[in-house]
Amino acid sequence: MSIQTSSPHFDHLIEAGRVHRTLYTDGDIFDLEMSRIFGGTWTFLAHASELPKPNDFVRKRLGKRPVIVTRDRDGNFHGLLNRCTHRGATICRHDEGNARRFTCPYHNWSFTNTGDLAAVPIEDGYGPAFDKQELGLGKLRVESYRGFIFGTFNTELPDLKTHLGPSAALLDEWLDRWPGAELQLRRGQTKFSCAGNWKLIYDNAADGYHPGYSHASLLRMRKDRYGGGVDMQWALGNVDEGLQTVSDCGNGGTFIDQRAEIKRFWDQSAPMPGESAYERVIKEKLGDKADAALDVVMGSGMNLNIFPNLLIIGNQIQVIEPQSVNKTHINWYATALVADDLPDEVNSLRMRLQEDFPSFGEPDDLANFEECQIGLEIEEVEWVQTGRHLDTGKEYIGAKGMLSGPVSDELPLRVFWKEWLKRIEQGNLGVAK
Amino acid sequence: MNTDPMQDGFTLEDILRDTLESTYIDDAYYAKLRNDMQEWEGCGTVLNNEERHAYESLILHENWLLDRRAFEKWYQLYSRECVYWVPAVGDLPDAERADPQRQVTIAFDDRRRLGDRIVWLRTGVAYSQLPPSYTSHVSTAFVRLPSENAGEVKIRSQFLIQEMRAGHEIQTFSGWMGHVFIKEDGVTKIARKVVCLLDAPRNHHNLTFLL
Ligand code: FES
Ligand SMILES: [Fe+2]
Repeated sequence: MSIQTSSPHFDHLIEAGRVHRTLYTDGDIFDLEMSRIFGGTWTFLAHASELPKPNDFVRKRLGKRPVIVTRDRDGNFHGLLNRCTHRGATICRHDEGNARRFTCPYHNWSFTNTGDLAAVPIEDGYGPAFDKQELGLGKLRVESYRGFIFGTFNTELPDLKTHLGPSAALLDEWLDRWPGAELQLRRGQTKFSCAGNWKLIYDNAADGYHPGYSHASLLRMRKDRYGGGVDMQWALGNVDEGLQTVSDCGNGGTFIDQRAEIKRFWDQSAPMPGESAYERVIKEKLGDKADAALDVVMGSGMNLNIFPNLLIIGNQIQVIEPQSVNKTHINWYATALVADDLPDEVNSLRMRLQEDFPSFGEPDDLANFEECQIGLEIEEVEWVQTGRHLDTGKEYIGAKGMLSGPVSDELPLRVFWKEWLKRIEQGNLGVAK
Repeated sequence: MNTDPMQDGFTLEDILRDTLESTYIDDAYYAKLRNDMQEWEGCGTVLNNEERHAYESLILHENWLLDRRAFEKWYQLYSRECVYWVPAVGDLPDAERADPQRQVTIAFDDRRRLGDRIVWLRTGVAYSQLPPSYTSHVSTAFVRLPSENAGEVKIRSQFLIQEMRAGHEIQTFSGWMGHVFIKEDGVTKIARKVVCLLDAPRNHHNLTFLL
């Protein structure tokens, strides 16, 4: 689409305690989101462990744009638009690999992995005005924080860490559950496709109101099989009387903290194949430190959502990839913790545990998101409620100076829409430098 | 009639009490799965009449029970120490990516998690199965693979599964399956089933039914 010079206004669609349904159903709004929000702010691209060696690359998407994330020979990351500057073909057609150069299959223009146009076949067919330096690949501004690589077109944003604000410290807490361990994304992924708008997924990621209801099947199965006390029992009853909280991390970021509900992570973990055998081995190997190692098998008790597409939930990294106004891919990357003093058995258990919620939890949410999409198509009922705990006086300034509330507070929705409005009205900052 | 008490009359109540520990998934078990992946690559031989009667008919019966949503009976086709495994990887063989000890999968159910899955499907509030999925499993091209594991029989087949949930488009899945059979108390049981989807690395809309 063309770069918009004048910006339509959307503030009439976003009120203090409700938003308009068309934000989820209008294809034109979706197109604006793909250009202004994805790339208009720091947007998650890839994790460093996906491209560990010099000259590694991965193919990703930024909104609907095909992009290549590369690591150059010096280890620096680059975000390149996967679009040949000759006549438009994508130059990279592999999901991942190792390459110093990308050669466009169409007429073999070739580009370095830092984006420069390196060679053009039969170059003397171009006249004196031809300047290879001007025909490098479109480039994003790229920064990473502790392995999380983000890109943007927006040159006005502060550096990534400043932008992340309290999310950076929360990410530290998530990463440092085993001091010194390196987080690695594993190659297997649980990849979902949902016939719903991408924002339904972001809305849910800090929704502490739904688990007792949307996850009734999981909770009932656990109770019938294993009795009380196992996994997610904090979702039952009046959750606002429990110890979970939700918070505003700034710039559209949101956070659910469940940690206060978890006395002993391992004891409150969901069941997983291999549990008894590996618990025994880990105890034999680690002695006193075994309890701590078993605790990092279980999910972190944190849902940290970084606007607009990165959801760090439990032990998983989820990336939202919008496909169209009513279709979204959600990619769950399993994570391993790698440290000399952490036995492999911990990760064997982590892999199995990271299959539990994608099997028995997430699919029910996705079914509900799809039913939301169907309901939101009804023109006559226009509004979506976002006002829970808006005026109950229960919000307060909590940890890290973040505005916080009881866990069923719809504060995260309001935080999201505030940032959404800011980004959508800024126009397309898409000058690919 | 069928004298195996496990084959008939096994109910959800029985599953609720069955196998509440996970004891047998360990390094040796994962090593066996890695070896399986190599053996599945071998050159198979078409089944003789005896093998068809013993194994092909059991796979066809399994398909029928799944299509009938008779999960409790289906569960009893599996041995005490079993796995139902759906790798999240295409382009097999791939020793690193297909190794479930190091990678997450689409499904990796030991007997306990298989029980969890059935109890979960039967809660009536699994919204991803409201309305429920109806399936049609077609299996063909059965071959027997040589195996170095004594007492085990390996059968590979190709499959085509269609799935229909009211209000949703029909989904089609294809690929190959490997079944490992053993004798347990004189009865042939499925010890391991691996389902290798053609589109395993892609995003899936709803895979909460059984393949
Ligand atoms: S389109 Fe890439 S070289 Fe022509
Ligand atoms: Fe949920």
